[in-house]
Amino acid sequence: MPTVIFQLPDGTERKVIAASGTVLMQAAVSGGVEGIVAECGGNASCATCHVYVDSEQAELVGPPNDVEDEMLDFTAAERRPTSRLSCQIHLSDALDGLVVHVPEEQV
Amino acid sequence: MSALTTAAPGAPVVELDLAELRRDPYPAYAELRRTAPLAWVPSVGRHLLTRYDDIVHAEKLPEVFSSREEGSLLLRTVGPNMLREDDPDHRRLRAAAEPPTRPRQVRDQWAAAFERTAHKLLDRIAGRGEGDLIRDFAEPLVAANLALVLGLRNASAADIADWSRAMMDGNSNYADDPDIWLRAERATRAIEEAVAEMAEVTRREPDGSVISSMVHAADPVALAEIQNNVKVIIGGGVNEPRDVFGVGAWALLQRPDALDRALKDPSAWKRVFEETARWISPIGMYPRQLTQDYEIAGVTLPAGSRVALVIASGNRDESVFERADEFDLDRPHRPHLAFGGGPHFCMGAWVARHEVSAIAWPLVFSRLKGLRLDDGATASDSGSAAGSLDGWVFRGLTSLDVTWQATA
Ligand code: FES
Repeated sequence: MPTVIFQLPDGTERKVIAASGTVLMQAAVSGGVEGIVAECGGNASCATCHVYVDSEQAELVGPPNDVEDEMLDFTAAERRPTSRLSCQIHLSDALDGLVVHVPEEQV
Repeated sequence: MSALTTAAPGAPVVELDLAELRRDPYPAYAELRRTAPLAWVPSVGRHLLTRYDDIVHAEKLPEVFSSREEGSLLLRTVGPNMLREDDPDHRRLRAAAEPPTRPRQVRDQWAAAFERTAHKLLDRIAGRGEGDLIRDFAEPLVAANLALVLGLRNASAADIADWSRAMMDGNSNYADDPDIWLRAERATRAIEEAVAEMAEVTRREPDGSVISSMVHAADPVALAEIQNNVKVIIGGGVNEPRDVFGVGAWALLQRPDALDRALKDPSAWKRVFEETARWISPIGMYPRQLTQDYEIAGVTLPAGSRVALVIASGNRDESVFERADEFDLDRPHRPHLAFGGGPHFCMGAWVARHEVSAIAWPLVFSRLKGLRLDDGATASDSGSAAGSLDGWVFRGLTSLDVTWQATA
């Protein structure tokens, strides 16, 4: 069960132990991480579960899929090279210790 | 599971007058949030869930708060459709219909035509110096845009608007008026024919529209499914963007500072859009039915219970939005509930955002100089005193009479 770390805009950190087979957005929501809104419940249609993957780990996580890539152009906070929709990141043990930054705004 | 049409044991029973609710639902919602956040309301035949957190909670549990509602008027009006389905069927239909409504498609494929239509409508009225921005502009604009995105090249904007109204009336025909059913049936039959024709055309020549996208979906969709889902989209796709446009324009015309800001900084239109949708949500509530016993807001609802998620109330919840009754572009960004949440998150959200906030408002306010409300069209900050604001299931201005300097 991977542990993931959310760095919040106010500088604090939230550590969440994710259930296997979940996506990062679910881990955030069930862990009560503020700032991951996830309006559409993980269907890549709202762009309110935006995160910045830590640049060290970006390659490990991989690039966005096509639909996600499109949605990332319409996030409330600026898009950066390591932007992802957290509902499209599937967690596995390989991502244990993943660090993501939560943007200031989702809507 | 059969639908329960009575109060859950332990649920407070609150009498609400439907006429009063239509006129101004917000005082009743404030009272419910305070004293009975889950209440059985006999005149509605449902439990009303009114607090922000509870609504969000319910939206995230579609397997408990099911969209399949027995005895739904929407089902009677349009037949089985994705709004009243749960996953996986909902997902299959949504995936087929959704691509043309994604934000990049909206920008690249539809925006230019949306803009041309808006200009054409303004050309038509600019010389008059007065008009009703709902009837003369917003409704024909969103109806034409909807025809385009759906791929109904064989229907006029007026057809779309009429069909939409007939179905919306059927959908809220609690009084079982036979004339209303008849009009709704005529509209749905006309839509079925129009969709069948365009499905045939796009089978040969895909055109990027919703009908085309459904015809060519990887996971097959039957013609009847395309027809019913187009009906649902027409049912909701006119009044929602029209109402956000109207309420937002009306709010700005009473707040010169806010309007000035938007005119100087076009990026502010987005905030105007989200704040308008929060303040007076075009969809006030939607129904759910419990698949199992579940405790929420202090009451255990038995399986089969009927619940209304009152998003208009959640959007005025003072524990989330300070001075929630006020229209305020500077409030801290908190997500509103106007588009719904979970798998049914509004499919038209990106279309509406673009056509209203990037096109309709900026063009109206820049082209119609000296735009102001006709005398009498003012209202209080609670958004409740204007004669033409109406509705609680759907809420918007029925007219917006304005004057401006006529141009030759
Ligand atoms: S939850 Fe909506 S895009 Fe990820």
